[in-house]
Amino acid sequence: MVDIVSFDKVSKSYDGRAYVVRDLDLSIAQGEFLTLLGPSGSGKTTTLMMLAGFEVPTSGEIYLDGKPLSRRPPHERDIGMVFQNYALFPHLSVAENLAFPLEVRHRPRAEIRQRVEAALEMVRLPQVGARKPAQLSGGQQQRVALARALVFEPRLVLMDEPLGALDKQLRDHMQYEIRALHDRLGVTVVYVTHDQSEALTMSNRIAVFAGGRVRQLAAPDVLYETPSDLFVATFVGESNVFAGTVAARDDTVARVALADGTAMAATAMDAGAAGAAAAVVVRPEKLLLGPLAETCENRFTGQVADVVYHGDHLRVRLAAFGRDDIIGRMPTGGPALPAIGASLAFGFDRAAARAYDPAHGAG
Amino acid sequence: MGGAELSAAASGAGAGGAVVPPAGPGRNLVRDHARAERRRRLQAIGLVAPLFLFLLFSFVGPIADMLRRSVYDMDLAGVWPRTAAAMHAWDGNGLPPDSAFAALGADIRASAEAGRVAVAAQRLNYPISGGRSLVMNMARRVEADDFKPPADWRAAFLDADPAWGSAETWSAIRRASGPVTDYFLLNALDLHKDAAGHISRAPDGIFLSILWRTFSISGVVTLFALLLGYPLAYVMTHSSGRVAAVLTLFVLLPFWTSLLVRTAAWIVLLQDQGIINKALMAIGLIDHPVRLMFNRVGVVIAMVHVLLPFMVLPLAAVMRGIRPETVRAARSLGAHPWTAFRRIYVPQTMPGVGAGVLLVFISAIGYYITPALVGGADDQMLSYFIAFYTNETVNWGLAAALAVVLLAATAVLAAIYARVVASRGGLVT
Amino acid sequence: MPRTPIERVAGVTLAVVAALVALFLIAPLLAILPLSVSDGQFLVYPIRGFSLRWFETFFASERWALAIRNSFAIGATAASIATVLGTLAAIGLARANFRGKKFVTAVLLSPLIVPIVIYAVGLYFFFARMGLTQTYTGIVLAHAALGSPFVVVTVGAALANFDHTLMRAASGLGASPLVAFRRVMLPIVLPGVLTGALFAFAASFDEVVTVIFLAAPQQRTIPREMFSGIRENISPVIAAASVVMIVTAVLLVATVEWLRRRSLRARQQAG
Repeated sequence: MVDIVSFDKVSKSYDGRAYVVRDLDLSIAQGEFLTLLGPSGSGKTTTLMMLAGFEVPTSGEIYLDGKPLSRRPPHERDIGMVFQNYALFPHLSVAENLAFPLEVRHRPRAEIRQRVEAALEMVRLPQVGARKPAQLSGGQQQRVALARALVFEPRLVLMDEPLGALDKQLRDHMQYEIRALHDRLGVTVVYVTHDQSEALTMSNRIAVFAGGRVRQLAAPDVLYETPSDLFVATFVGESNVFAGTVAARDDTVARVALADGTAMAATAMDAGAAGAAAAVVVRPEKLLLGPLAETCENRFTGQVADVVYHGDHLRVRLAAFGRDDIIGRMPTGGPALPAIGASLAFGFDRAAARAYDPAHGAG
Repeated sequence: MGGAELSAAASGAGAGGAVVPPAGPGRNLVRDHARAERRRRLQAIGLVAPLFLFLLFSFVGPIADMLRRSVYDMDLAGVWPRTAAAMHAWDGNGLPPDSAFAALGADIRASAEAGRVAVAAQRLNYPISGGRSLVMNMARRVEADDFKPPADWRAAFLDADPAWGSAETWSAIRRASGPVTDYFLLNALDLHKDAAGHISRAPDGIFLSILWRTFSISGVVTLFALLLGYPLAYVMTHSSGRVAAVLTLFVLLPFWTSLLVRTAAWIVLLQDQGIINKALMAIGLIDHPVRLMFNRVGVVIAMVHVLLPFMVLPLAAVMRGIRPETVRAARSLGAHPWTAFRRIYVPQTMPGVGAGVLLVFISAIGYYITPALVGGADDQMLSYFIAFYTNETVNWGLAAALAVVLLAATAVLAAIYARVVASRGGLVT
Repeated sequence: MPRTPIERVAGVTLAVVAALVALFLIAPLLAILPLSVSDGQFLVYPIRGFSLRWFETFFASERWALAIRNSFAIGATAASIATVLGTLAAIGLARANFRGKKFVTAVLLSPLIVPIVIYAVGLYFFFARMGLTQTYTGIVLAHAALGSPFVVVTVGAALANFDHTLMRAASGLGASPLVAFRRVMLPIVLPGVLTGALFAFAASFDEVVTVIFLAAPQQRTIPREMFSGIRENISPVIAAASVVMIVTAVLLVATVEWLRRRSLRARQQAG
């Protein structure tokens, strides 16, 4: 993989005291779809704005194709951008919006017309060229914004929560379309979102931001299956978190004791040595219920507090260890629905549980 | 609420009658709704009516009454009724019949005795040069104690002055004999109608040049207001809280301060002994005071100052509504900062520019006080001449005709303004 | 944003130009103020000694004292009429559509744009026939007409932001239309009404052309006396009058700004 962009120890502070982005090292590979994921205030948007040229790093440097970028004004960067509210020019028609980046690059008229047409074709809006942006629906405006960011064939396309203003159905559809465009054009995309499911479905890699730093940079499956710290584990996907103390640990396995004395074995991640606080994280789909739990290394019994039918699975809430928010999943079509109040065995394997240092849990 | 009350009242009325018609609930609802709508409409009209009637009396009435004078012309007919009747009977070719001379002779005599002949003489003086003395000389003759009404009035008139034998004289009398005339309106546009009814440019007309002066002063003022107002509105809109607040205050304070105060203030600055001249002399740029007042320079400076807020406020209102992302988007699409400003920012401010330009221009063409106080004789605009012909020479028909011209120009511009602003929804931006 | 050198130059130039324009706007007002305490005979710099004699002239002379009383009395009366009629009309315009509404609106707003001389000359003839020239009534009627569109516009703007479901809520809670108007609508649009009233007052307080055509000596207002003063014998009493007018303007700006913020806050709380 060839890196197209790299951030080298980039920091950004507005007041000289608090850092919005801190010591960021990040490389973006040619042709990849990289998502910057994080809660608001985590520094992901600031990172994007520095890359686009609307913010200047306080320290560090960003390289595009190996050349430093920080002093280059936005219009000389050749980076396409899709803004949160599209930022279509209200006084120009759709076609004029698309022609704009080509005109400022002094492309020949015929080429402009042909490329604008092709771009409208690409986002499947061939008829709307003469209309003003205000005459389009939200989804259409979104596609025009996308076409405008792509029409001049930039090295890189940035997208700042581009689907935030759309309703859910349209959002799902546009996720698919953006993905398809990326696959087809092979353009490098840097995508900002706070929606973890959007990040998981769209990206080649995801950089999880919190507190101005990247907590983990990995492919979606790696990120989901092996989160590197407690924050990533809880921010991406659903998790059961059991707080306790490390009873013993070696290189790979940590044994953790909960407050009520229950002991469980987990894969050791960044959990500390014996005596340190620890959090054991188990995904609901890895928490096996009823007969399936019998072969698990960690086996317990709880009471069914709630059962919710989700079509393809049942979501069961259990009470155990002095709490009642333990979530497990169960395939539907089984013999019978568990009765509320009934005892139910549950468990998980060591490989499905990870022990983390709870100090790295907060954003 | 109104619907319920009304339907209760309606069924009450029905119960009072002999038969209660069995109406379906759906029909009732439709009818009730229509009644409620009508009631709302009547309430609306009732609320608007007081102000509307008040303005009809105290605003529209006076203006209509004045404009009427531009075409309604009874100065001559009021004083010389017989002549007016004879003129209406005459076909206007060549010279009128003897009976018309006789009617005029009798009218001049009667009006001279009533002391009102000067009104008609004045009226004839507008279209005929020397018209006043022509009439007054004749009046002196017929008023003389030894005067006997002649059998041949035509000869008596021609004897008094050969001008009475001119077709031009009589066609002017005919056109002045009311009740409707186009004389003043034509005059206000420097047009002249000859005896044959052909309209041509009047050789000595001054009003087109005054109209042009009014528009050109207003145009220059509007241009300067735009050139000064745009950067101020821009900085006002795009700077931080405190700077923006101070600049807004600097715009609003003059806006609320009396026109007379601001005009007086400019006199302090611009007069020969004023601050600007003294400062320029103190730094040695000039050794004599430069004339800054009682000329075009002073008028333009003072008017730009007075009208600048009308440019800045609509501009700032529009600029506040422009999304900054659009300029960012232009930059990221490869536009140079200047290109982004010119092609993306400026076009979005055009509604504000349009509103500001029209507002300033409309106000400027009606200006009176500022040119009157800081301008010279060659800087007076249409409004000044309307006042002048009302007060000084008492040519009310001409004053009214000039008012028609000014009001028509204003109305056209106001209609355009309403369009520009309506497309943005709201009169005050 | 990394700024190109051109951008930096343009930014500085823009700031300087804006500062100069702001100075152009405010300088004349600042220039005239010190002359009010000059001891000299003429409205020129440099100031010869400090003296309050021109303020004394302004407040004590019968002519100016009358003008001050006239200005405030005419302004207050005209603004009251304009406010009552204008508020009712604005509510009516917001209440329903009716035939000819566009035309009616145009008539209601026309005093904003008709050149003032045309109106003044019209009044001069029209009121003469009714014996209204050289009377307070005539001037008050004229100024009420000139001030009313400001009320229509400001109250109209306030009503445009008014949430009409509040009136339904009020009637649902048992308020009669009149009570709902008095207890719900009026308090919410009151800043708009007061702003309109202040605009109408300022329009009258500043107006000179109709006064020139209509007023007898005993109805002369401050601007009318200033007009004569500037034409005939320009003395520092003009500066003293200007100080009073500017102070009034400052009070008006401050009040309007306060009202604007109040209604903005109210709207934000409601929203």
